[in-house]
Amino acid sequence: MRILPKKIDGIKFGLMSPEYIRKFSVLKIITAETYDEDGYPIEGGLMDKRLGVVDPGLRCGTCNSRVGECPGHFGRIELARPVIHVGYAKRIYKVLKSVCRSCGRIKLPDERIGRYRQEIKTARKIGKNIDSIIEDLFKEAKTPKKCPHCGGEIFEIKFEKPATYLEDGQRLSPADVRERLERINDTDSVVMGFDLDVARPEWMILTVLPVPPVTARPSITLESGERSEDDLTHKLVDIIRINQRLEENIEAGAPQLIIEDLWELLQYHVTTYFNNEVAGVPPARHRSGRPLKTLAQRLKGKEGRFRSNLSGKRVNFSARTVISPDPSISINEVGVPEVIARELTVPEVVTPLNINHMKEIIIEGPYNYPGSNYVERPDGNRISLARVKNLDELLEKVKPGWKVHRHLMNGDVVLFNRQPSLHRMSIMAHEIRVLPYKTFRLNLCVCPPYNADFDGDEMNLHAIQGQEARAEARVLMRVQEQILSPRFGGPIIGGIHDHISGAYLFTMNDTKFTKSQAFQLVYSSGIRKSLPDPLIDENETEYYSGKQLFSLVIPEGLNLSYKAKICRKCDKCLEEDCKYDAYVVIRNGKLLKGVMDEKSFGAFSGELLDRIVKDYSTDDARIFLDSVTKLVINAISRRGFSTGIDDEDLPEEAKERIEEILRNAYKNVRKLIRAFNDNLLEHLPGRSLEETLEMRIMQVLSEARDKTGAIANEYLEKEEKKRRRENSARIMAISGARGSLLNLTQMTACVGQQAVRGERIKRGYAGRTLPHFKVGDIGAEAKGFVKSSYKSGLSPIEFFFHNMGGREGLVDTGVRTSQSGYMQRRLVNALQDLKVEYDNTVRDTRGVIVEFKHGEDGADTSRTDWGNIVDVGKIVRRYADQRGKK
Amino acid sequence: MLDRKPILRSFLKKREIVRQHIDSYNDFIVHRLQQIVDENKIIVTDVGVDVELGKIRVEPAEVIEADGSHNRITPNEARLRNLSYFSPVHLQMKLNRSDRKGDFEEVKIGMIPTMIKSNICNLYSKDTEELLDIGEDPLDPGGYFIVNGSERVLVTIEDLAPNKIMLEKNERSSKVTEVAKVFSKRGGFRALVNVHRDKDALIGVSFPSIPGDIPIIVLMYALGMGSHQEIINTITDDPLLMDDILINIEEFAHVTDTEKAMEFIGKKVAPGQTKEYRLKRAEDALNRYLLPHIGVIEEDRLKKAHYLGRMVVRILELSAGTREVDDKDHYANKRLALAGDLMEDLFRVAFYNLLRDVKYQLERAVVRGKEPFVKTAVRSDVLTERIRHALATGNWVGGRAGVSQLLDRTNYLSVVSHLRRVVSPLSRSQPHFEARDLHPTQFGRICPSETPEGPNCGLVKNLALVCEFSTGLPEDELEKQLESYGIKKIEKAGGT
Repeated sequence: MRILPKKIDGIKFGLMSPEYIRKFSVLKIITAETYDEDGYPIEGGLMDKRLGVVDPGLRCGTCNSRVGECPGHFGRIELARPVIHVGYAKRIYKVLKSVCRSCGRIKLPDERIGRYRQEIKTARKIGKNIDSIIEDLFKEAKTPKKCPHCGGEIFEIKFEKPATYLEDGQRLSPADVRERLERINDTDSVVMGFDLDVARPEWMILTVLPVPPVTARPSITLESGERSEDDLTHKLVDIIRINQRLEENIEAGAPQLIIEDLWELLQYHVTTYFNNEVAGVPPARHRSGRPLKTLAQRLKGKEGRFRSNLSGKRVNFSARTVISPDPSISINEVGVPEVIARELTVPEVVTPLNINHMKEIIIEGPYNYPGSNYVERPDGNRISLARVKNLDELLEKVKPGWKVHRHLMNGDVVLFNRQPSLHRMSIMAHEIRVLPYKTFRLNLCVCPPYNADFDGDEMNLHAIQGQEARAEARVLMRVQEQILSPRFGGPIIGGIHDHISGAYLFTMNDTKFTKSQAFQLVYSSGIRKSLPDPLIDENETEYYSGKQLFSLVIPEGLNLSYKAKICRKCDKCLEEDCKYDAYVVIRNGKLLKGVMDEKSFGAFSGELLDRIVKDYSTDDARIFLDSVTKLVINAISRRGFSTGIDDEDLPEEAKERIEEILRNAYKNVRKLIRAFNDNLLEHLPGRSLEETLEMRIMQVLSEARDKTGAIANEYLEKEEKKRRRENSARIMAISGARGSLLNLTQMTACVGQQAVRGERIKRGYAGRTLPHFKVGDIGAEAKGFVKSSYKSGLSPIEFFFHNMGGREGLVDTGVRTSQSGYMQRRLVNALQDLKVEYDNTVRDTRGVIVEFKHGEDGADTSRTDWGNIVDVGKIVRRYADQRGKK
Repeated sequence: MLDRKPILRSFLKKREIVRQHIDSYNDFIVHRLQQIVDENKIIVTDVGVDVELGKIRVEPAEVIEADGSHNRITPNEARLRNLSYFSPVHLQMKLNRSDRKGDFEEVKIGMIPTMIKSNICNLYSKDTEELLDIGEDPLDPGGYFIVNGSERVLVTIEDLAPNKIMLEKNERSSKVTEVAKVFSKRGGFRALVNVHRDKDALIGVSFPSIPGDIPIIVLMYALGMGSHQEIINTITDDPLLMDDILINIEEFAHVTDTEKAMEFIGKKVAPGQTKEYRLKRAEDALNRYLLPHIGVIEEDRLKKAHYLGRMVVRILELSAGTREVDDKDHYANKRLALAGDLMEDLFRVAFYNLLRDVKYQLERAVVRGKEPFVKTAVRSDVLTERIRHALATGNWVGGRAGVSQLLDRTNYLSVVSHLRRVVSPLSRSQPHFEARDLHPTQFGRICPSETPEGPNCGLVKNLALVCEFSTGLPEDELEKQLESYGIKKIEKAGGT
């Protein structure tokens, strides 16, 4: 049979009519038994072969196909009495309340009904949701006490969960309800929202129950040979049993009471068959006491069909392992262990041009690298090379048009991903580089977009199976195409840690290299360019400056000037004459002034890198990043760089000055408290006196901490000059490689005020935080000010307060991660099918416009200048730079 | 700086690292078992036979082999052979018939888990040499149980202190209500009594068995107050707070004596019943469900009135601004349930199950015309298996799960840490930022640093190294002491 390709245009949900269920079903289930003693399915039972097969070897009694081919066929149970479908219980109630009990019309005058009909019609035409109109109708129709059509009296109808209706205190049986719904005419049904093609009101009440095919409820055989049935089968058995008893009793003319009891029981079983978590209904349980997983439970929730099998799926051709760094590969590459490369395959079509190569690869087979795991015939059948006995015979058969599933090889494009995938840079396309050992290797510059580190992180890799996908991934998703972040319009891929401190040290003015040093450094960094002429120093010796060598990796003709990270924000900027070398000037691709630091090519802030991507190309940017990182890593490796506790040493003089500042701060705090007590404190706007005091104290203490930090920094710098040796900790902080001056302050000078939820420590014993203080003490120490530095060590009380502050952060991260996950889910659900159309509007899948212009300015953030569509100042400066070179 | 190590060392020498669990368990064995038995001195059956209960006795841990012989075993043997390290419990029981009284005979009522290194553990008071001889780790701290060969720790549970008035402010949609709550606990029974003042200054009381609120004035009358003056005297003499009380009195001016008040309550507890039944139910509710920790007999009602008075004052002061809400995270407002306390809860339930079973067995025997014997009526497995199941799965009585956990044997430190763990029953799904914070009152009691990261952060804690436990002391002793200072008991009439 040829399968005709068809396209799904839409899906329409409706009710199944009893006739439809009967027509649809292949047999009527008549017995609750499933298997006979020999383990064969009983005819007319729930496991009847005509419902499909799940056991290998058997053939379907309806379509005569085997397991896997036969999709299964529905059966039916003829219910002895009708029952309410719980899913529609509420709607039935609404309908019942709106129609007349005698004539079956909606209890509204014809013209009102006509109005509603018109409204629904127009709403349908413009694609508007009709739910609210129908709600209005139900609301209006339930009030009349008399039917406007037949004048019949109306009694109050009550609904008792889950499926009982009372009219004037009298119980309505499902049969009564069904009878009433049957009386509703077609026009009224439409007004109440029923689409007559697929639904009639009375179909909400079941007279026939469809029995899903066995393929939807396969039984499993335990090791002991015992059969274990699916929960749905169990439930269906219950339904059949009760149904039979009910039928027998009715036939035998049993008393009404007994019949009603059984009817109720049947209702219960059918209810729990649909949904075992209906409020007010005790869940049906398995013998072990575990609640059964019935239809609704299969679909609902995180483990349900939708979230677990439809929105999310497991994939083939993927690999996962621990990641580790490799500074020698390009940012575009990913190192893949050979074992993984042997397992993952890519289909390659055999052509007359490559047939010999393909045959070689087939010969290598699945165990040698590079080889192949499968050969696919033009008809789509796959032959596993691990199982092929006669290879020569196979090789004979291989012709152009076959496909070879060959191992991953260097240069193959794959997708690489790290969870949580919070932005699009969490999945990028990399080129493969097969490497020894068992971890994925990645360039350090791509750590920021993935938010990866190497403390045991694992990542996933997906081998792309189609040419089209491969091309798309290569053009759109390659790492180098993602350097600029669509979040802030600057590079998100860039140098980190040692790249930054390395570049800083490398480009400082007093960094000099002899000719041989320079050659070695440049060559080993893979730069193949001729060096400029060396400079000559005061001793008449030739040398290369770091800036000269750095210029080798800057693209030719680049002009740029900006303030470096180390800029001290002087009142008046001397620009090119900056005495701290913090004003970077690049002319015609030559670094003339300023040092390279975080602002040059760091992730999130690299100006130079930003310029290269935007003014040159992503290829140039990749080459720049690859070579600049190699160069500075080589440089810093040769120089050596380490930090130790002595980086936090301060001279006595500095300690005294810090001590002095803290003493003053304490004094000021006491003064403030005294002023407060004497009622001399002035209100800050919108604050109570107490709040004012708190804020002023916080301010004084935080200023004090900052001052001590400044002093510490000042002395660290002085010491550097005195000892003619850089302070590594400080270098890292100022260049932006790692850590901040605040971290340094806390280590060397003073940890500062500890806060819980933005306030000084306030809870604790009555009137004080700790019993070490006097009641009512609101001074600095008593409320969590830590005057010690991490290096000098904290006192027990300080340590405790510090732990209090630290705990808050810990709790935050612990609680936030779970919350943000949920938030992400909701956002994704709300936004997933919005896209920018070719007319620049943002629309959802229905074509409804969400925004007329994307972001209301139509800008692609990653092409903007740090989010600004134009930065006039920058353009002027660049023009000036260009002029300056002439 | 002063070297503090020797101090710590000598402290820990005297108080081993899991002393708290072992002490608590020993107390359970020595005192509380008997107390639980004494709560039910007698089993009365419907067939004219009853059983009197006497002294309870626990023997050191042993195992019953397949051949029926009893063997003292070491914990390690239990671990290796996947046995339970349990101790047999014997109880004196006396079968009384309507015609003649029997004699006390000792019956084995079941086995209870034996805590390693407790008084009834076979390792008790053995020194290092002896421990090594029998193949036990001399450095093992003990303090856990062995069930079916797996080591189980009863994790200390931190909970809000029972029998303590806690003031709260509920701010819901700009309506502020002041609430005073007491978790009144008597034996295994916990009853929450809730006194609250709504925005119209009306004060209501809610407690179990009664739907809705009962106005304070009505309740005071019902508890035996004779007049408005007496009620006011009981609550406060502060003229500033008097307004609120008068508002309440005016609102329920029609209730003027105990009888009317009882009728009011009766209508609430058992609407539509006969008058006698209503009154009986009302009395029952007042005796048994209102502040049961004060007492459950009629004589205690006046005391309850005074206690309620105290709660009302606090609410009034709170609403007047002269008092602050109580800090629920203050460690003075927390109580820790140690292994002994948890075993007590479990044993009580298991023991009641046993008694019910004994009663049923006796009744069955008599109905079938057989001679009733206590020995045959006691099915010791009822008790043993209830306890064993709870301990093996961690599903404790009262629906608490995860109470017993598999001892973390990753390394010695993890063992010690696990044995000193404290968990809060607050749900981990809600933020509860305040409960997770390190509270200054935890200084010296709870380790400030050790808490897991993630959803349990700050809810799972560990004891500080120098943490000591205090246990309650007998009430009668305290009462005597107070009386010797000249404090008078609350007597009928007059109040004050």
